[in-house]
Amino acid sequence: MDRRTFLAAAALSVLGLTATPLTLKPSFASAAPERLVKAVKERAGVDLSDVKVSDQITIQAPTIAETAAAIPITVESNIPVDKVEKVWIFVDNNANPYILDMTVTPLSGKVFVSTRIKMRDSSNIRAIMKLKDGSYIMAAREVKVTVGGC
Amino acid sequence: MSIIGTGVLRVPKEVKKGEVFRVQMVITHPMETGNRKDAQGNLIPAHHLTKLVVTYNNREVTTINMGGAPSTNPFFAVTVLADQSGVIKIDYEDNKGGKWSKDAEIKVV
Repeated sequence: MDRRTFLAAAALSVLGLTATPLTLKPSFASAAPERLVKAVKERAGVDLSDVKVSDQITIQAPTIAETAAAIPITVESNIPVDKVEKVWIFVDNNANPYILDMTVTPLSGKVFVSTRIKMRDSSNIRAIMKLKDGSYIMAAREVKVTVGGC
Repeated sequence: MSIIGTGVLRVPKEVKKGEVFRVQMVITHPMETGNRKDAQGNLIPAHHLTKLVVTYNNREVTTINMGGAPSTNPFFAVTVLADQSGVIKIDYEDNKGGKWSKDAEIKVV
């Protein structure tokens, strides 16, 4: 192999290496485990595929969790409280994906909840919100867990 | 074991009317999910909080229902809209029938 073809081959293989992870990355909806879909249906009464992804909910959580037995998470939204009915939090890969649900009343002032949770594996944390008009919106955030905490 | 269910509730001493303030709480509780095994391989039975209600002068602010996933000795923070001086109270219960409550006074200026 002369120098020219070698360089071309090297460039191609580097391209291949960088391109593969992008194509292998599963899409948002198909990545949802069956357990999660079932839990969402049971707790929130909605099919996960009917929930729209929204940027009006923010989830604060560490990108890499130091202790999986107590991961601090905060869910808040800038949607006025009188338009929101309920908030659910799920973790995709936990044995029991359901974490908690909370009602929102005008006395809450704002949609906000902060807590610490246990996680088994690296996965998405999802916040699903039911609005007063009956529609559902959600946001997700990935947290990497080094040692499981369940 | 009487320490289970002890709560710490923190509210600001004084808030302005119309302000949205945070109420923070930590409850002493093992929060066993029921999925963990002991050294002999037997399942440790579930023992976790199930419900937490925050009230402000006997008006409901929020109700949080949960499974076993919040951490041991869970921490929660929620927001409340200040409109009158009074008492913030939390009532919480677990899946083994334990019921506790804790309150704190708040002054609205």
